[in-house]
Amino acid sequence: MQKYDYTKYRFKPKAEILALLDGYKKIYIISCNKCFNELTTDAEPEIAELTQILNEGGKTTAGFMPVDFLCNKFLTEKTILNIKKDIAAADAVAVISCGIGTQTVAGELNVPVLTVCDSLDQGGQHGISLGLQKCGACGECYLSLTGGICPVVNCSKELINGACGGAKQGKCEVSKDKDCAWENIFNRLTLQGRQDLLLSQPPKIRNYNLNSAEIIENYVKNIQAKRNEGFYGGIYPEENKELTSGKAIQKIKYPETVCIPMLQNAGATCEPLVKPGDKVKAGQKIGEAKANISAVVHSSVSGEVISVEQRRHPLMPFSVLSVIIKSDNKLELDPSVKSKGSLESCSKDDILLAVKNAGIVGMGGAQFPTHIKLASSKPLDTVLLNGCECEPMLNTDNRLMLERPEQIITGLKLLMKAAGVDKGIIAVEDNKPEAANILREKLAAETKIKVAVVKTKYPQGAERMLIKRILGREVPRGGLPLDVGVLVNNIATANAVYEAVYLGRPLISRIVTIAGSGVANPGNYEIPIGMLVSDIVKSCGIIIPENFELKMGGALMGFPQSNFEVPVIKGTNGIVVVQKKDVLREEACIKCGRCVNVCPMELKPHKLVYYAKAGNWSRSEQEGVMNCIECGCCEDICSSKSEMVEIFKKSKKMLREMKINANNRS
Amino acid sequence: MLITEVKKKENILPFIKGKALFIVCLGCKEVYFPEKEYLMLKAELKTAGVDINNEIKLDYLCNEDYTKDRFAIHKNEINCAETVIVFSCGVGVQVFSGLLPDKKVIPGCDSLYVPGFSGFTPSSYDCGQCGECVIGITAGICPVKSCSKGLLNGQCGGAKKGKCEVSKNKDCGWEKIFNRMAALKENDGKLKSTIKIRNYNK
Repeated sequence: MQKYDYTKYRFKPKAEILALLDGYKKIYIISCNKCFNELTTDAEPEIAELTQILNEGGKTTAGFMPVDFLCNKFLTEKTILNIKKDIAAADAVAVISCGIGTQTVAGELNVPVLTVCDSLDQGGQHGISLGLQKCGACGECYLSLTGGICPVVNCSKELINGACGGAKQGKCEVSKDKDCAWENIFNRLTLQGRQDLLLSQPPKIRNYNLNSAEIIENYVKNIQAKRNEGFYGGIYPEENKELTSGKAIQKIKYPETVCIPMLQNAGATCEPLVKPGDKVKAGQKIGEAKANISAVVHSSVSGEVISVEQRRHPLMPFSVLSVIIKSDNKLELDPSVKSKGSLESCSKDDILLAVKNAGIVGMGGAQFPTHIKLASSKPLDTVLLNGCECEPMLNTDNRLMLERPEQIITGLKLLMKAAGVDKGIIAVEDNKPEAANILREKLAAETKIKVAVVKTKYPQGAERMLIKRILGREVPRGGLPLDVGVLVNNIATANAVYEAVYLGRPLISRIVTIAGSGVANPGNYEIPIGMLVSDIVKSCGIIIPENFELKMGGALMGFPQSNFEVPVIKGTNGIVVVQKKDVLREEACIKCGRCVNVCPMELKPHKLVYYAKAGNWSRSEQEGVMNCIECGCCEDICSSKSEMVEIFKKSKKMLREMKINANNRS
Repeated sequence: MLITEVKKKENILPFIKGKALFIVCLGCKEVYFPEKEYLMLKAELKTAGVDINNEIKLDYLCNEDYTKDRFAIHKNEINCAETVIVFSCGVGVQVFSGLLPDKKVIPGCDSLYVPGFSGFTPSSYDCGQCGECVIGITAGICPVKSCSKGLLNGQCGGAKKGKCEVSKNKDCGWEKIFNRMAALKENDGKLKSTIKIRNYNK
């Protein structure tokens, strides 16, 4: 494809620039890193060019700042805040940008803002890619009648009722190099045998009011409000929650064997406490956590250990030591499974111990051991229960809130007691109004716990976004929610905490949403930890259609599985069958700016990709790659099909290793 | 940048013949895509007897390379359709039909222009791309876009209490320019020195 450089501006002539700056001595330069051309360098030479012009005119510079996408008001405001001091020392600000960027800067500052560029007419609106096709944005598309060739953009006179008669040998009278659009239209229609329809049309009159300022302003306001809803960035994926939102939790048919990995948490692998031939009971501890960050593992069935061996893991690229147990189908409980007391009878330490002994980890997917979060020495004031479940298709938290609201509220109170705080918030997205209503009803008499309903947007469930939106606190880059006094837990985790204390039941089963195309019996199932996906496929009647794939987790962040001999683990909240994306090769970044607009961490993903490819790790770190939360918004929207999340994971790994190596050397 | 509105049923129906393939481009969905309206129209067309053979959701139809690759991936769906209805901006429809000149390809949407070139959030500021930027002497406010008449040499005199005669909801661009210049205590000498004539040939 021939690629066009859609840079929107060029420098004014030197004399004009100096005439404009007449009367100002000290100039601050803000330069926009041009959009819509290939990203081949992060150096933008315009600043040096302008500095030289200024020097020749006997002026000095007060400083300069290159900015990506100056028209992005939200980020530009922040940038300007950082350089306000330097700007205050200048007589005027010179902006290298298109008219939109300059106006954005001028709107933020109360010093003279001057443009040194002229913006260029593109002759119609281009798409996101750098192709040559353009659209006239007339608001009444004629392409049905014109064989897919636009007369508004391609006819010099923008005629919509046929050729003017001025064309010679297919070329427009305006220029010999320009095709007559109407001749092209006629030829295409003849090829398709459709010319009669066009010829039989009554004359059309263009309505120039379809794109009126008021209509456009309305669109702009609505779109801006939606984009900035709650937090910067994020996306609105198709939810597809209705597939299972009405399905009550049901127990799945328990399998013959389970495969329980010794690694089901963020942190270290457990050591197995059983060997082949051992008889085990459901809820019996079979893996001991020896390291600091780790969580114990229990058997989810009663029966006999048949093997302790390396097996495939649903999340890890390597195999993990796992205990294989043949079930006796009796589900006999271990004697250790008995109530540890109640909210009233248990002390803070009792709750902590119960949570630790139950092997509870964050069940929203991150799998961080809950007892470690709870035992943090940082001062806390709020426990935030995350019931957003912003991942498409999933309904596990939704169903838990609907069916077991009392347990969840008690679980939250236990967490509050263990963390020593007296403020609790349950956050629910507005696409689950029933769940929010039930919780509100049950909490009517409570003063310390409230329900916060937030507008649906991905990745709302990410801790940082949620804390910012609900409490208005900004978790520092590189920091944790605990740093701002907040403990965030998932709904399913609260339910597990309740069960650990009141029933003494360790985390040996969990609710998993099973949904998608080709799933005969979709629903929300209680599934024993260690049940293999291959058994679930049989039990729920899953036949994966062509061009579809099975993911563990949600439709967006879930992990695609090619081999189904992997078990459900503590963090598995969904098994979904979703359409595979068309496999398209990566093209060069064209600086369309979309990734910058969706990154909720306010990073510049396109630049991070550029630095990673150039092996420039120090720039990568400076630009904050370590703060990436791997939500996948940028990759989802990338117009050049870059596998950004994978690139950022590698960048982070690289930087971590470099740090370790540096420490070792010193 | 471009956003789309779904066409009315009666503006599409006469053009559909035989098996229909719906192509839905969701590349700009985070800016705007009329998802609800699309579903409603699809249901209406079905009721009206349109044989919707297939529906393909994709993104960035405007990228010719990717659209070519997708032709290979979705060969079967495309081959068996007599009419292809593309729900995208005018660029997407033209790229698609340009690659398949012998296939009947019709637009399902009308395209509108919103200010802003890159990224997602449309800008509250607009640029007329006139090629001779004057906002250096108009206090950073573009008269070409913020004045309804695109005047370059000061206001027309039709504004009432700061509002344009075109609409009560629209500020007079020149009054905004005057007020900001006063606030910045900017010298208006450069603004008053010459009468500007716009060169449409730039």
